[in-house]
Amino acid sequence: MIKAVMMMNTQGKPRLAKFYDFMTVEKQQELIRGVFSVLCSRPENVSSFLEIDSLFGPDSRLVYKHYATLYFVLVFDGSENELAMLDLIQVLVETLDKCFSNVCELDIVFNYSKMHAVLDEIVFGGQIRSCLKRDFTCPEVCFRVARPIASKLA
Amino acid sequence: MTGMRGLSVFISDIRNCQNKEAERLRVDKELGNVRTCFKNEKVLTPYKKKKYVWKMLYIHMLGYDVDFGHMEAVSLISAPKYPEKQVGYIVTSCLLNENHDFLRLAINTVRNDIIGRNETFQCLALTLVGNIGGRDFAESLAPDVQKLLISSSCRPLVRKKAALCLLRLFRKNPDAINVDGWADRMAQLLDERDLGVLTSSTSLLVALVSNNHEAYSSCLPKCVKILERLARNQDVPQEYTYYGIPSPWLQVKAMRALQYFPTIEDPSTRKALFEVLQRILMGTDVVKNVNKNNASHAVLFEALSLVMHLDAEKEMMSQCVALLGKFISVREPNIRYLGLENMTRMLMVTDVQDIIKKHQSQIITSLKDPDISIRRRALDLLYGMCDVSNAKDIVEELLQYLSTAEFSMREELSLKAAILAEKFAPDLSWYVDVILQLIDKAGDFVSDDIWFRVVQFVTNNEDLQPYAASKAREYLDKIAIHETMVKVSAYILGEYGHLLARRPGCSASELFSILHEKLPTVSTTTIPILLSTYAKLLMHTQPPDPELQKQIWAIFKKYESCIDVEIQQRAVEYFELSKKGAAFMDVLAEMPKFPERQSSLIKKAEDVEDTADQSAIKLRAQQQPSNALVLADPQPVNGAPPPLKVPSVSGSTGPESVARSLSQPNGTLSNIDPQNPSPDLLSDLLGPLAIEGPPGAVSSEQHGPIGAGGAPDEVDGSAIVPVEEQTNTVELVGNIAERFHALCLKDSGVLYEDPYIQIGIKAEWRGHHGRLVLFLGNKNTSPLTSVQALILPPAHLKLELSPVPDTIPPRAQVQSPLEVMNIRPSRDVAVLDFSYKFGTNVVSAKLRIPAVLNKFLQPLQLTSEEFFPQWRSLTGPPLKLQEVIRGVRPLVLPEMANLFNSFHVTICPGLDPNPNNLVASTTFYSESTGAMLCLARIETDPADRTQLRMTVGSGDPTLTLELKEFIKEQLIAIPVGSRALVPAAGPGPGQAPPAVQPPSPVIAADDPGAMLAGLL
Repeated sequence: MIKAVMMMNTQGKPRLAKFYDFMTVEKQQELIRGVFSVLCSRPENVSSFLEIDSLFGPDSRLVYKHYATLYFVLVFDGSENELAMLDLIQVLVETLDKCFSNVCELDIVFNYSKMHAVLDEIVFGGQIRSCLKRDFTCPEVCFRVARPIASKLA
Repeated sequence: MTGMRGLSVFISDIRNCQNKEAERLRVDKELGNVRTCFKNEKVLTPYKKKKYVWKMLYIHMLGYDVDFGHMEAVSLISAPKYPEKQVGYIVTSCLLNENHDFLRLAINTVRNDIIGRNETFQCLALTLVGNIGGRDFAESLAPDVQKLLISSSCRPLVRKKAALCLLRLFRKNPDAINVDGWADRMAQLLDERDLGVLTSSTSLLVALVSNNHEAYSSCLPKCVKILERLARNQDVPQEYTYYGIPSPWLQVKAMRALQYFPTIEDPSTRKALFEVLQRILMGTDVVKNVNKNNASHAVLFEALSLVMHLDAEKEMMSQCVALLGKFISVREPNIRYLGLENMTRMLMVTDVQDIIKKHQSQIITSLKDPDISIRRRALDLLYGMCDVSNAKDIVEELLQYLSTAEFSMREELSLKAAILAEKFAPDLSWYVDVILQLIDKAGDFVSDDIWFRVVQFVTNNEDLQPYAASKAREYLDKIAIHETMVKVSAYILGEYGHLLARRPGCSASELFSILHEKLPTVSTTTIPILLSTYAKLLMHTQPPDPELQKQIWAIFKKYESCIDVEIQQRAVEYFELSKKGAAFMDVLAEMPKFPERQSSLIKKAEDVEDTADQSAIKLRAQQQPSNALVLADPQPVNGAPPPLKVPSVSGSTGPESVARSLSQPNGTLSNIDPQNPSPDLLSDLLGPLAIEGPPGAVSSEQHGPIGAGGAPDEVDGSAIVPVEEQTNTVELVGNIAERFHALCLKDSGVLYEDPYIQIGIKAEWRGHHGRLVLFLGNKNTSPLTSVQALILPPAHLKLELSPVPDTIPPRAQVQSPLEVMNIRPSRDVAVLDFSYKFGTNVVSAKLRIPAVLNKFLQPLQLTSEEFFPQWRSLTGPPLKLQEVIRGVRPLVLPEMANLFNSFHVTICPGLDPNPNNLVASTTFYSESTGAMLCLARIETDPADRTQLRMTVGSGDPTLTLELKEFIKEQLIAIPVGSRALVPAAGPGPGQAPPAVQPPSPVIAADDPGAMLAGLL
């Protein structure tokens, strides 16, 4: 299952964080900082996988993607496929791209509430829920995602 | 939701803050503002409430504690309109945890939304439950959610959420959800056409199957059907393809689910699946588009795992290895990473090591990858694939890499290099070279274990001593050397420096001066070793060198008043001894050989790896280690080398026992006058390399790692005396007692394992009959002979073991069925007396057979109408017994319920009106009682979980008593690390070590749980 979804900018400011196991605020901040300190030291063109047992306990994996000024991070356990998780980040980003037409960090900062709605559509209690617009229930997301993502992607 | 100006302004303000302090001020101001507004309910419009609640969430994300307003967030859930309701749900699921009291207040509203007609509200409510639903939610909402999932009138989007919601509730509290009869429903759900519902249902299936795969066997062919539909027929609506690949997530999930079934028996299903897998394996290419690559390889890697799991034919396996070989050299780093990771997993599959070895050079290149994640994977793989044939190459690569590796990897790297060098060394001098290089390059990361170990090897192998000494001497020429290097070279030169005496620069006085140069740089733990070395150098100088003596005596004098007791004692003793001539020679004679033992290093690594889920440890155990490193000399004809025991410092060792030690055939102390040495002196010399007794001598450490010397302080001040009997023990793999306890709860697993043999067990139980099969596997390349297995049955069991063949051929497994019949209830245990010969070693073990009371229980769930009449009909002793038990392992009720269910005593939920009580039932089978209903009731005290009252009843007084005692044992049992059987090897019979447990009833007395129970 997915343990956490994080978005943070390249300065380490959290832009969205959702943990699917309950954690205190302090713990959450500690984890965000911990993840960032590892991410920021990684060069370009390396793999998207990190060993993160020291932060999240045994059998945790982390995949991330770096887009412009933002890091998108997923932490999950051994029951998920790493590359599928990487795809999920891509889906999330493409969906946001639809919602905000060319998403940038500012969109995410100011549409904080919408971000949560989108995330809940894609990741549900630590499980992948949907990767398709057709499945979205939240009206504003459906409204903004004018065309099915898939048709463009295909 | 859009156009909340206040929120945007607040976010801008935060963004404009110059520093953290300014941000804190702004946040505090806002929190104050929100707090005031929440207090003034009159002006609090739904819009405002919504806005403030969003602000709270934002502040929470910034890392500030928001300790108020939770009520307002929860109250928004019951708002009639969508925007408020949505905010309420989202914020509640972020701010509150599943045990928060406010959540209980919301259960009713959430339930109304779930069973209501409004789809959007249903979705919101399901999302909340799916994110933070705890026990309360599970208990009150699970049936409703289950209904939604299978309802034909619901739209897919709701059913999909319902499936995932159920999954969450099931994962968190498996016992709170009734999944009886879900096997059929799941099978139906997997026929679903809608891919969204199907994906969610498959996720749910994965969780259910991982819990109990037998019940869901009907789902197995359905998963294969799904794969056929997606991967073969491409029968997928356009919108469910992702970069042209038919729903990769569903494919992955379906293959993951299949990996939870132990095997696929139906030949046609198996054939169909392999066709699909073949298509996936062959049909995936690396393409330019990164996202498409990721998706297609996600499916591919899952397919690889499934192929490995299914243990496919060799041809398919080599195809997989070839693919992986391709992956580890592609440009795309993610694929390289996964290629290496999967290759490591592949090592567990037999017969492919040779094919993997072909890629060795490429893997070594990955050790220089710019990405640390990839380098780590490459290290793991190299470690896993190392054997005698390639150890030299691999270890030398690792050593080379050590100088450039980042610090975070060096410790692991040096440990792994040391282990590989020890395990697979082609020759001994190479091993010494490697370890010395290791200490030289990464001294900080070389634990004491590593240098203790090299000293042991050098001590036990005479041919190696001059070589090691000359190497140690070479390293001393370096300008700056690590302290560990000082330790090891001082030790080796002290012992064997005299072997070099004729070489230039190696006379005693030259050795002394070069070693003494290092003394000012070392810590107080090294000084004692140096002092011992000086004393030894002095002793070896024949004829005496007055100049050297003067220098060394001066040093001893100097340290006589050292504040460190260890140093002081040595200085005083050596000084006095060195004046004594003959006694000096005797006391400082060469160290005796070490008894053979498993490397504490390897043991340590195994302990670490045991926790990793895909460790290569199983493989490690199978691989034939190199024969080059044998700690002891070839054994004398009469059996094992002299075992050593550690008595107390008190000097209770009589001269005769010392004398006996001296008369040992290959003990090197034989030149000592038996009357002369006092244990104290000897002990002091043993300081740096302490010797532990064999298992059995020190009762508390029977199963502890037989360390390479342990820390000096542990055994400080001890002398060597022989044990009465010559017993040689094999090092066990795993703990016998733990294995036994595990097998008491499950029906297949490993009963016993040592470096030569593995005994597995598989059992089936029907009523009072049982059929066990013992699997005896020879792990070596030479046969095990004189194999004998004898069953010692307790009175209540009838056991029949088919004859075991006398010889087990190399790498072969033989099966030996064992029929069991239960005559009457008893907790006694049958024992298997097992022995075999490997080379000249006789190894024997007495193993408890897991044919225990609970194996003859069958789960049975009663309704209250069935339970209570039975319960009332049992009036009191001896049919119904009650006892208050103290000292119980503290368990929360669900855990306790799981424990009961695990030994087939079924908890009947809801029968007892008091939620702190458990009521359970089961059926016991034996020849004398037939099928007999047993009932139990546990009353717990939530304030004190260490005590409870238990009542057990059945129609048979013995059964009631035995069952009660059995449950009691389970509740207070501490099954780990208990004193278990030590297999012993000896030249003849009658040498079983004292720890061997006789068969029943004494066993109970030996079991800590039973002992405790007895005390209570």
